[in-house]
Amino acid sequence: MGTILIVAEIQKGVIREASFELAAFAQKLAGSGHEVKSLVVGQGVKGLAEEFAQRGGGEVLVAEAEALANYSADAFTQATLAAVAASGADLVLISNTPSGWDFAPRVAAALDAAFVTDCFDVSDEGGAIGFKRRIFNGKLDAQVKATGTVVATVQPGATPAFEGSTEGKTTDLDAGIGECKTKFVEIKIAESKGVDLTKADVIVSGGRGLGAPEKFTEVVQPLADALGGAMGASRPVVDAGWLPHEYQVGSSGQVVTPKLYIAVGISGAIQHLVGMKGSNFIVAINKDPDAPIFEVADVGVVADLFDIVPALTAAVTAAKG
Amino acid sequence: MKILVCLKQVPHSDARLDIAGDGKWIQEDNIKFEINSYDTYALEEALKLKDAGEAEVVAVSIGPDRVTQALRTALGMGADRAIHVNDPAMEGSDSLGIAKVLAAIVKEESPDLVFAGLMSEDGNFAAVPPMVAQLAGLPSSTAVMSVSLADGTVTVERELEGGALEVVQLPTPCLLAVQSGLNQVRYASLKGIMAAKKKPMDTKTAADLGVGDQVGAGAAKVEIEKVYTPPRGEGAQLIEGSADEVATQLVGKIKELGLL
Ligand SMILES: Cc1cc2nc3c(=O)[nH]c(=O)nc-3n(C[C@H](O)[C@H](O)[C@H](O)COP(=O)(O)OP(=O)(O)OC[C@H]3O[C@@H](n4cnc5c(N)ncnc54)[C@H](O)[C@@H]3O)c2cc1C
Repeated sequence: MGTILIVAEIQKGVIREASFELAAFAQKLAGSGHEVKSLVVGQGVKGLAEEFAQRGGGEVLVAEAEALANYSADAFTQATLAAVAASGADLVLISNTPSGWDFAPRVAAALDAAFVTDCFDVSDEGGAIGFKRRIFNGKLDAQVKATGTVVATVQPGATPAFEGSTEGKTTDLDAGIGECKTKFVEIKIAESKGVDLTKADVIVSGGRGLGAPEKFTEVVQPLADALGGAMGASRPVVDAGWLPHEYQVGSSGQVVTPKLYIAVGISGAIQHLVGMKGSNFIVAINKDPDAPIFEVADVGVVADLFDIVPALTAAVTAAKG
Repeated sequence: MKILVCLKQVPHSDARLDIAGDGKWIQEDNIKFEINSYDTYALEEALKLKDAGEAEVVAVSIGPDRVTQALRTALGMGADRAIHVNDPAMEGSDSLGIAKVLAAIVKEESPDLVFAGLMSEDGNFAAVPPMVAQLAGLPSSTAVMSVSLADGTVTVERELEGGALEVVQLPTPCLLAVQSGLNQVRYASLKGIMAAKKKPMDTKTAADLGVGDQVGAGAAKVEIEKVYTPPRGEGAQLIEGSADEVATQLVGKIKELGLL
């Protein structure tokens, strides 16, 4: 059987949880005869590579170079290609993170390989690798089959991190990084402005289903006010300029865990769910009974939000007396 | 300056998603289509650069006859010409097959900039744009939230998690896959739509582009075996009734949580 290459990712000086999730998938496949190897890139990352070798990474190739100290698509693509050549890997696993989705497609194209993205399940189908992934922003799932050399990105959080210990070792890899056209300049951390949703006990979030910016002041804000809570939003609301970015809940906004989260006219795409599924109690109001938001909700109302929300605001106000 | 914009036409965000008879995709007959939302931001970014100086904007799309509508819309918004790859032999292509066709167009057109959307709203693959760049020998960046261009160097801000941004520099020619929200997308004006009727639209096949043997189901290394409604776990407890009845029950729940 073949060899799996996990490309681990270092973030803020540690190996990301998502990399140990890749290890979990790789170790599951190791059960059907695949050998597990990994790649750790960066500068001064030997210690991290040793840790990864012992926690599911198998033989870890360590590529250290100045060009790899910060993320760059070109350098990471070259290092991964060098590791594929050195390991003889026929399945490359990369996390679907902002760097993963930036360089993984380049690796696949350079290898003329099968490429599958954002998978939440990986299995050996005997001669092919099977994947499950979401399509249509979570409204449907697809089962796909990839043959030959395969590069795949995996959704962070899709499986628990590998917890066992493995006998691994590290091997230096001279990645021979050549010309890099993409150059890292700096990382800018968003300064938090007025609204800090992470401290709110109650959040009422509105999505594209609101249809117009004034509906936030007319429909969403009054319910949030009645509950003494804060207003939040899904990304399209912010993209359209209806509300500023600090209201956005999700992977590229704030991650919130209030006691009560009310999602109004939000479908429940994975990028939104990761920002709110840790809430203590979730209420979803959506007219589409198949909306994925109902999967994470404790209580759901399948109806027109413009009927339900004003009635709820009135009932909350009345209950307060 | 020449700017190429890759567009995909996808089912409208409000379209009903019924699974097709063979179980491998959705039923596409009789549903509305639109330009993939991420790609509208890509087109807008190209048109902004055109407004700010001299640029020819070329919109490219792959797909059946219905795709002419998407390209007409792009021309109506301000693109100068369009290339439509309309080729039944491409049916069943995977991301790599699509990328090979687009890379062939990039090589033929030699644009200074290629714009695409971060991902498509149907397949959610986010695969094609960097693949095109790799195959065409261009540097690329994804999830781009801002673009500034000076002396052949493009500086972009890429979106990371939690609102952080990564500043990256690339030389032209390069490919940028943009994230939603980096600009406010214009509408096609009536005048624009009238003018679009006279703008050129080329139709090509994969064979015309020299990659006829690398597309279609036969060449695909990735195959969708089936699509299905995600298994619903326990899901939510559903509350039914009139708006007032629903409100009363919800207030009961909120009281149980000690929040009222
Ligand atoms: C890299 C990346 C990062 C992202 N980050 C985020 C993020 O941080 N946060 C985020 O939210 N998204 C994020 N997204 C976008 C995400 O994929 C979805 O596009 C988005 O969450 C959809 O928002 P929505 O649910 O409001 O809109 P839609 O998916 O369009 O859903 C609207 C919903 O409203 C319902 N509706 C419409 N009218 C009514 C009515 N009258 N009554 C009741 N219901 C109604 C519809 O049934 C539908 O379910 C990100 C995407 C990417 C690729």
